[in-house]
Order: sequence, then C-alpha cells, then structure tokens
Amino acid sequence: MANPKAFSVSVVTPEEAVIERDDASMVIVPAHDGEIGVMRGHAPILLRLGIGALRVELADGKKQTYYVDGGFAQMVDNRLTVLTEQAKDPAELDAAAAKEAWEQIRNEPIADERAARRRHDAMQRAQVQRRMARAQSSGSIG
Amino acid sequence: MANRRDLVKRRKAVRNIRKITRTMQMIATARFQAALNRAVATKPYSEKLAELVKDLARGAGGIDHPLMRTVEGVDRKALVVLTSNRGFCGGFNANVLRAAAGLIDGHEGDVDVHMVGKKGVNYFNYNKREMAAETTDIEEKPRFDQVEPIANELIDRFIQGEIASAHVAFMRFHSAGRQTAEILQLLPLTATAADSDASTPASTSVEYEFSPAPEALLDDLLPASVRTQLFQCFTDSAVSEQVARMVAMKAATDAAGDMIKTLTRQYNRARQTSITMELLDIIGGATALA
Repeated sequence: MANPKAFSVSVVTPEEAVIERDDASMVIVPAHDGEIGVMRGHAPILLRLGIGALRVELADGKKQTYYVDGGFAQMVDNRLTVLTEQAKDPAELDAAAAKEAWEQIRNEPIADERAARRRHDAMQRAQVQRRMARAQSSGSIG
Repeated sequence: MANRRDLVKRRKAVRNIRKITRTMQMIATARFQAALNRAVATKPYSEKLAELVKDLARGAGGIDHPLMRTVEGVDRKALVVLTSNRGFCGGFNANVLRAAAGLIDGHEGDVDVHMVGKKGVNYFNYNKREMAAETTDIEEKPRFDQVEPIANELIDRFIQGEIASAHVAFMRFHSAGRQTAEILQLLPLTATAADSDASTPASTSVEYEFSPAPEALLDDLLPASVRTQLFQCFTDSAVSEQVARMVAMKAATDAAGDMIKTLTRQYNRARQTSITMELLDIIGGATALA
C-alpha cells in the first residue's frame, strides 16, 4: 500500500454505497455509547452506532463528514465497514427545521417508557442535526 | 370508395398508437436500467448485514430471538402486496394479485392486507376484498425511508403477538427474461442462514470486540435485516414492473406493425378492385358504342 497508515473504509446504506475509499487515515465513528476513533491496525470490533457525526479523514488531509442515524460498524483486517440506514451530507441538513422539530418534541407528553425513549431519540436527532447544520454553514466542520 | 377511405383512417390511427407504444417501450427500457442499478446498489448492504448476523451468531453462541420464534395460538397473518401505480405492464399486477389472493383464500384465519400500489387497491376494491392499509405514494424509485415504517409496523405487531407471520407478495426479478410472482415470508425470520453458519466455522473466524454485547447487537441487527429484506422486495418489484412494461409495449408495437401490414394489404386490394371495376366500366361502355 502506498501509505503505510491508510486503511479502507466503506459506508453503505440500503440505497447506495456512500463512500468507498482505501486511503483513510482516521475515522471517527459515533458509537452508541460515545465516539470511537479508528486507525490502521485497530482490533476487530463490531459496534452499534448512535446518532451523530461520522468523520472520515483521508490520507491527503481532506475530511468528510456524514450525519449518521443508527447502524453498525465493523472493523476487521484494516477494513472498516459502516452499515447505516441513513448517511446524510451535512449540507442537506436544515438547522431551522431541526430546531422546530426539537421544540415540538419537547412539548410532547411522556406516556410510558417507550414514548420516553422515542422522545429522547428524537430530541437527540434534532440536536445533532442542528449542530451539524450550523457547523456546516459556518464552515467549521468537525 | 368509402371502404378505402376507412382503411386509410384506420391505418393512420394504428400508426399513431404504434408511435406511442414504441415511445413507452423506450421509456420503460431507460427506467428499467435505472431501477436495475438501484436494485443492485442494495446488495452490498444486505450481504454485509447477513455477514454480521453470522459473526454475531457465532459470538452469541446461536440465536434465539423474539423475531425468529413462532407465535402460538394466533392465526392472523399480515401480507404486504406490491403492485404498480400505473398500468400498461402486461400481467405484472394480475400475477402478483393472484398469488396474494391465493394466500388469503388458502388461509383459514384473518389476513391483514397492506396494499401498495393503485392498481392493487383498485382491484381489491372492485372485488370487495378487505384491506387493512393502503399505500399509493411509492413511485418507481422506492426510498428506504418510505419502506421503513411499513417494516417497523410489522415488527412491532409481530413482537406484540398480534400476527403469527408476515409475508410479502411481489414480483421477484431473476433476470430480464424471467420474473415470478412470489410470496416471501418476512417474519418469523427463517433461521437457515444463521443456523448453518453458527456451527460451521467460517473462513474468517475473528474474535471481535463487541459493543454492546452480541445479544444486544442482535436486537438491532435482526430488525434491520427485516427492513432490508422488505426494501429489497420493493426494489425488485420496481425492476420487474419496468421489465413487464417493456415487454408489454414491445408486444403492442409489434402487433401494431402487423396490423398496419394487414391494413395496407386490404387497402391495396380495395384500390385494385376499384380500378378493375372502372376499367370494366370503360370497356363495357366502349363495346356498347362500337
């Protein structure tokens, strides 16, 4: 391999392969319990993802960010595969809409445990989307 | 002669129809390519997902999950039927609906039908069959977020024990030359893939670091694979629809061509007949004068 520190990364959704590169230097994965940085030589892992930003740093210094909503990540043999049902370019996110959604969810009554969990997820979703959309528009990513 | 003019008119009409069907055939061909590409693009995800399920099954030492258990004492089934919104696609809808009706009539308990596509909705309304739900806003490009709620509802109802099983009736796409109406069992998940591989060690038997525990991961993975399966049915059905339309429009174009040939022949014969008659008239007149 040209770069000794590079490894391959692919992000796949049911609809398409979002990214497929073999020159990633570091990927920060939003796992269900916090962010995890993956570099070449990482031990085999199988993670559940939460809601958050997936950041891919390429060997040439370029960075790419995706909004990810759940899914799985697998690292084995220096191949990181991220399976997610939704991987969005932050440019597609709408800060105002996310804020509105957040306000709406906040006012929803909490009936039972399921509703509480759903409310929590939805709030987190809106929050992350808003943060990422703002970061995108102000030009500072990551 | 009036007959001749009629023939010209009809030939013109058929020619116009042929023009339309040929255009529709070409549109269907283009859409088929796009739909096929989309269907192929879903493969990496589902293959990887299946691989993860296998790895996890090994990590967890076999799978026993609510989504794989058979529900006792309930005979209600759920059936999702995938039809098209538009017609002019030959036997596409009829075949799917026949398969669906076969399952409904063959089952003794209740069947909750979730009908997708205007054609299926119309057919069931016409036949006074009951539908539990209708979806008509999924066009030829099914998106995952459109399919997801349908799958989630099925999963919820299955886990709560409202339904004993969930099926999808759709047109499976094998190749451009072959599509078959099929009924796929979505729930309970069939254990074949996971079971056979839990016992046989795969080529890459890696010791993973799981987070969270394998059992908890399976809780998320299995529903995801159900959703993906359903999504693939949708993309398959979209491809099959375009193929069916392509074939139907090709047949229509060919039939119109044949008809134009027949009409041309009839027209020529009529013209020849009228010329002969006129000649006979003239000759008859000439001989009478002579």
